[in-house]
Amino acid sequence: MEIAYALEHPVKLQLKLRVQGFTVLLGESGVGKTSFLKALAGLIFATGQPFGGLRAEHRPVGYLPQHFALFPHLRAWQNVAFPLAHLPPPQRKAQALAYLDQMGIAGLSEQFPRELSGGQQQRVALARALAREPKILLLDEPTSALDAATREEVFGGVLERLKSLQIPTLVASHDQWLAQRADWVGVLTRAGLVQQGTSEEVFTRPATLEVARLVGFRNLWEGTVVLLEGAWALVATPIGLLKAPRQAWVSLGQPIRLGVRPEEVFTLQGRENLIRGRVRHLRSQGLRIRGQLLIGEAVLDFLLPRYKQLQLDLHEGQWLEVALEPHCLHLIPAD
Amino acid sequence: MSDPVFWQTLRLTLEVSLVTTLILLLLGLPLGWVLAHKRFWGKRVLESVVLLPLTLPPTVLGFYLLLLMGQNGPIAQTLGFTWAFRFEGLVVGSVLFSLPFALNGYREAFRGLELDLIQTARTLGAGWRRVWLEVILPITWPGILSGTILAFAHTLGEFGVVLMVGGSIPGKTQMVSIYIYDQVQALQFGRASEAAAVLLGVSFALVYLVRTLEDEWRSRMPSSTR
Repeated sequence: MEIAYALEHPVKLQLKLRVQGFTVLLGESGVGKTSFLKALAGLIFATGQPFGGLRAEHRPVGYLPQHFALFPHLRAWQNVAFPLAHLPPPQRKAQALAYLDQMGIAGLSEQFPRELSGGQQQRVALARALAREPKILLLDEPTSALDAATREEVFGGVLERLKSLQIPTLVASHDQWLAQRADWVGVLTRAGLVQQGTSEEVFTRPATLEVARLVGFRNLWEGTVVLLEGAWALVATPIGLLKAPRQAWVSLGQPIRLGVRPEEVFTLQGRENLIRGRVRHLRSQGLRIRGQLLIGEAVLDFLLPRYKQLQLDLHEGQWLEVALEPHCLHLIPAD
Repeated sequence: MSDPVFWQTLRLTLEVSLVTTLILLLLGLPLGWVLAHKRFWGKRVLESVVLLPLTLPPTVLGFYLLLLMGQNGPIAQTLGFTWAFRFEGLVVGSVLFSLPFALNGYREAFRGLELDLIQTARTLGAGWRRVWLEVILPITWPGILSGTILAFAHTLGEFGVVLMVGGSIPGKTQMVSIYIYDQVQALQFGRASEAAAVLLGVSFALVYLVRTLEDEWRSRMPSSTR
């Protein structure tokens, strides 16, 4: 589904976005993600297609706001039955229960929203949105109301169910974890929609510096292209000469940015792009170790699995040599 | 309770209060909604005007209404009728005077309502009628009822405005509070205390009801707002 919308208020926004499968519109707060979803749902005035000019109550969309907006005075099944007003009462309840069952929470049908956990509320709200028989599902920050620690557990199941339904789903989120699991990702910044592509494409080959930062490139050095050879470019950076995949737009002598994700810094593997530096700021982050390598004045962020720390007997102040796999380096136009 | 005039007076008072309350409901609900959720030019002026009776001496309000609706007032001259010293005049005065009480209740009830609920209801296919009947009113009714009861109770004990506009004609425009005053003036303390006790009982029962509804309303607020 292709979406082309323009809105003026509360943010000026004009964007063309493809929605295929589970699509995440990634962006920081305040860039207009929520407004865009609301515009699509017909809650904010906008022009564009699809559904242009239709009133909110006539649009075939399933809209899920950040806090789910369950009706507090209705039981779970009554919430789900709300969009089924066109059915006779007995059928209404049966249908509502079927949707709850589809989300795996048929057992909670008689509960009131205040008796449900955040994850359960979300499933009820999704069942209710599905009961609308939408042509597209719109989810606003679906993981932000969930506990980060249990997010994977709570939303993972929902994600699988959503994907199996084959209803195009557009999710507004700043959550990288969610975007990495998407079929398609659009990146929205204050400048507008700056990139869209598969999740792998956006996360490994961000088009601009801003996108690179947004998708987790913590290492972004300024550099100059000194040699072009076949599919490769040799770049002079503050941490040394590095070999990276050549991009079509790259020319010799051009100032560029070179990026690598902290989780793609490997130790002692390969022969190319060897970097030596002093280890500092070691911190454990879940089951992984975050740290920095100080190379002269420049800093390289890395994220290693815990066993690596044990293997290497990693400690602060130690000299360490790492290899940056050339395929994992990425060239970005300088701003 | 031997005085037949007292029963006439009580009946009139209840009638005025009931009609006033119904009008307040029709007028106050849309106004409360607008004040709670809409932004527009001159909103603060409108709010100040409708809240004015809270600080204005009732006699001042009554005086202006008397000028407006009296025999030589602008309404009599342009539209040809006078509502001063009549049931209608009592109602107009009471509506204006109790409006802030009803409105505060309605506005607070609507303010506590998350707009997300209304927007989501619309995306689920509900037109404005269904949104009001199945979402807004079922969630806010305790607040609406408490504002309404408060306005009713307030009208019941109304003195200054109804004295100015109605003129305390026994059996026609005399309200209970004025009746009590007149009995005291006439040194009829027995009658005065009987009437006062009735008002006290009714007022307490109404305020108690309001408090109960407020608690009910709080427990209904959605847990997702925590």
